[in-house]
Amino acid sequence: MNITWKNILALSLLSLTATSWANDNKLTLENCHLGEIRSQVKCGKLEVPENYQKPDGDKIAVNFAVLPAIDDSEYKAPLMFLAGGPGQAAVELATGLNRVFREVRKTRDIILVDQRGTGESSPLSCEFEAVDNVYSALPDALNPQEVKDCVAQFKGDVTQYNSENAIRDFDAIRAALGHEKLNIYGGSYGTRAGLVFMRMFPESLESVVLDSVGPIEVPIGMFGQSGARSFNLLIDNCKNSESCNKAFPNLAAEFQAVKARLAKQPASIDILHPRLGTPTKLVIDDTKFTGNLRFQLYGMEGRSMVPLVIHQAFLGNYQPLVGLMARTEGEQLVYTGLLFNIVCNEDMPRLSLADKAADANNNFDGKDSQLAWDMVCPFFPEYRPSEDFYQSVTADIPTLILSGNLDPVTPPSNGEYSAKSLPNSHHIIVENASHTVAMSTCASDIIQEFLTSKTPKKLDESCLKDIPQETFMTSVNGIQ
Amino acid sequence: MNLDLIQLKALVIKEYREAFRDKRALMVALMMAILAPVGIMVMSKIMIEKLVDEPPVYVKFIGAEHAPKLIKHFAEKNLLDFADVPKDEKSTWEQRNIAIEIPEDYAADMAEGKPIKLHLQADFTDKAVQPPVRRINNAVRAFSLSIGYKRLLLRGVDIRLLNPVKLVEQDTAKPDATFMLISMMLGIYLMLAAFMSGLSVAIDSSAGERERNVLEMLLCQPVSTLKIVLAKLISASTVAVIGVLLILILTSVSVGFVDLTKIGATFSLDISTAAVLLLLLLPICFFASACQLFVAFQTKSFKEAQSTVGMLIGIPAFIPFVVSMMDDRPQWLNWLPIAGQSMIIENIFKGVDVDWLAVFATSAVTIAITVALVLALAKKLKSEKVVMALS
Repeated sequence: MNITWKNILALSLLSLTATSWANDNKLTLENCHLGEIRSQVKCGKLEVPENYQKPDGDKIAVNFAVLPAIDDSEYKAPLMFLAGGPGQAAVELATGLNRVFREVRKTRDIILVDQRGTGESSPLSCEFEAVDNVYSALPDALNPQEVKDCVAQFKGDVTQYNSENAIRDFDAIRAALGHEKLNIYGGSYGTRAGLVFMRMFPESLESVVLDSVGPIEVPIGMFGQSGARSFNLLIDNCKNSESCNKAFPNLAAEFQAVKARLAKQPASIDILHPRLGTPTKLVIDDTKFTGNLRFQLYGMEGRSMVPLVIHQAFLGNYQPLVGLMARTEGEQLVYTGLLFNIVCNEDMPRLSLADKAADANNNFDGKDSQLAWDMVCPFFPEYRPSEDFYQSVTADIPTLILSGNLDPVTPPSNGEYSAKSLPNSHHIIVENASHTVAMSTCASDIIQEFLTSKTPKKLDESCLKDIPQETFMTSVNGIQ
Repeated sequence: MNLDLIQLKALVIKEYREAFRDKRALMVALMMAILAPVGIMVMSKIMIEKLVDEPPVYVKFIGAEHAPKLIKHFAEKNLLDFADVPKDEKSTWEQRNIAIEIPEDYAADMAEGKPIKLHLQADFTDKAVQPPVRRINNAVRAFSLSIGYKRLLLRGVDIRLLNPVKLVEQDTAKPDATFMLISMMLGIYLMLAAFMSGLSVAIDSSAGERERNVLEMLLCQPVSTLKIVLAKLISASTVAVIGVLLILILTSVSVGFVDLTKIGATFSLDISTAAVLLLLLLPICFFASACQLFVAFQTKSFKEAQSTVGMLIGIPAFIPFVVSMMDDRPQWLNWLPIAGQSMIIENIFKGVDVDWLAVFATSAVTIAITVALVLALAKKLKSEKVVMALS
């Protein structure tokens, strides 16, 4: 009898030391409130080496959150969300993700990690004047000194803030939380991160969802052709819609006319600041005009207003455009420092001048989408990923690939690369959807089905067929 | 000492035989424990459906052709045209007779930005009409807002201006708190089971035995009245414990059939929680049986015992209910039998860590009162007045 008690005591001591050794005080996890989520969730930090080659060197704390499964009576491997950008902070998106993945969260934890360089994981951010002053500043007003100053204020070794180290962080968090395997959902750049994850730690992954793919084979940052494709689809859809065609019979020509007019002479118009209500100026040239239109092409709601915005601009009324700009004014959507750090080092160096010229040869915004990279990249510290980084990913993991046909940055042709190289994958192209399909369509239900069945080729895709063709606003007073 | 135990054992065996002999009566006594989990399941299902489901509503549209997008918006909210009503529901919706009139000038007024009035006609005192009316209200408001937002946006206004202040609710309940309805019902049913299951055994072994003249015979034996009372108490409370156990087991099974995740809740009764609940309710079982025996012996006849003791079981159902309704709970409630336990049970379901001090305190008070009742009863049984139902 005595022996048994001693054994139990010894055993419990052992397990106690085992757990504290594993965590080694590197992991903290506590209840917290996040965004607009009503119930409590869990917030945590994990200390990781800044440079995995020097495990004893400087450390950074990676911030993450767990939206715990509502019904945890049966363990199911969690879903980790890999954010886009690069440079979006996953934890900041918690409110929306909690809604989109509510079916998944019924039985699975959802893990959100601020990729190093974003959110509360040693963020790399630049405050550019042009961003602060969206109405009166022109995009090319960015001056080199601003970029230099921004890069100079970064703390730590910026070259360590790369995709591969981010994935090492993600897998470390998986291990620290005690999960043997994960499911991952990557959207936009998150798909690139997901693919790198699949190559580096295939044994950690149960299944993968890649939504709006940025494959290894296609460098991120060349959006001229894809943007023009998306825009031209919008022009076609307007032409094919009776009401839209009636309201805007010359849409394509009007767009070119506005562009040409603004290229010749940027417009400077007195407006009331949309938020402050005080007089200010709207200064707009062709690049700013197409840039703002491009931004609307990402989602169906923005797209629905584009024909009206173009037509009103053609008539000399820029107020609709100002209203659209106001929607995200002053909000930091991505951590720009990390965005440039990754794209400038992992993607831009692979592009030849011929590639750039080919991409710029389009009738939408020409080479405008390359401007920012050309201007900023020379000032960022250089690093180069390993050779393996650029190999096609061939991991044999159940993978669901989603693309929106109307997507201005990651067209369905991107998804084809991954569909081809991944042996156990299936590519669904959603006809009437734009960027990151699962965020706005019933594809989120298909993901839930996929996570349960793990059979990418045998999913019920019927609900996607019910998504209606895109419709357009034809009057500033709304719809009939 | 040994002799005492042997005597008590013999007495308990005698009581058990009496209690478990009539299987059918026993089943009826435990019926509540068996039906309660079913009740909990059905109630939760109905509640969840009310909270989550939006069944189709059929509305008579007048002038639908003037506002195709509005009609489409209604359809997305499952508010459908009366023309599409399935046959078997036709008479229901004919009777509810909800009508929306869309004015002829709708399209023109919309284009010119003039305010538009839709008319909704229904019998607003009809209870069945109220949820559809509420949903129509919400649908129109959402539709109207979305157009209003776009109108301002297209005039160059920052639409975030329309929400100057937003209240974000942060629920501090533990993430694993259960669905309130289930925990409240389960708490009440557990108390009821503790009181009700042993009821018939308690009455039968006291007032019943007295009428069958068994009690007199027992008292003639050379055993102390305390042992007789104890034996009766053990037997009655055993049945009560069985009732509590049944509820715990059956509830954890039956709740599995309800999809609580629909409303973002969960319910799982793990072994440790069940053990704590049982620990809490054990003294209650004894307390209940002691009360019932005490009252039953006070009465003059079996019939009177039945009706008087029957009233006793109203108390446990009443107290947790009152306690759960109270917003400010005085400190002394923690110490009171039943009230104390029901508050602890509430906390357990909320996912709050068990306050062991409170558990021991309320259990001690409960046990103390039980002991007092037993001693008093043992003393009373020495008097002929009680035995012969005189007084």
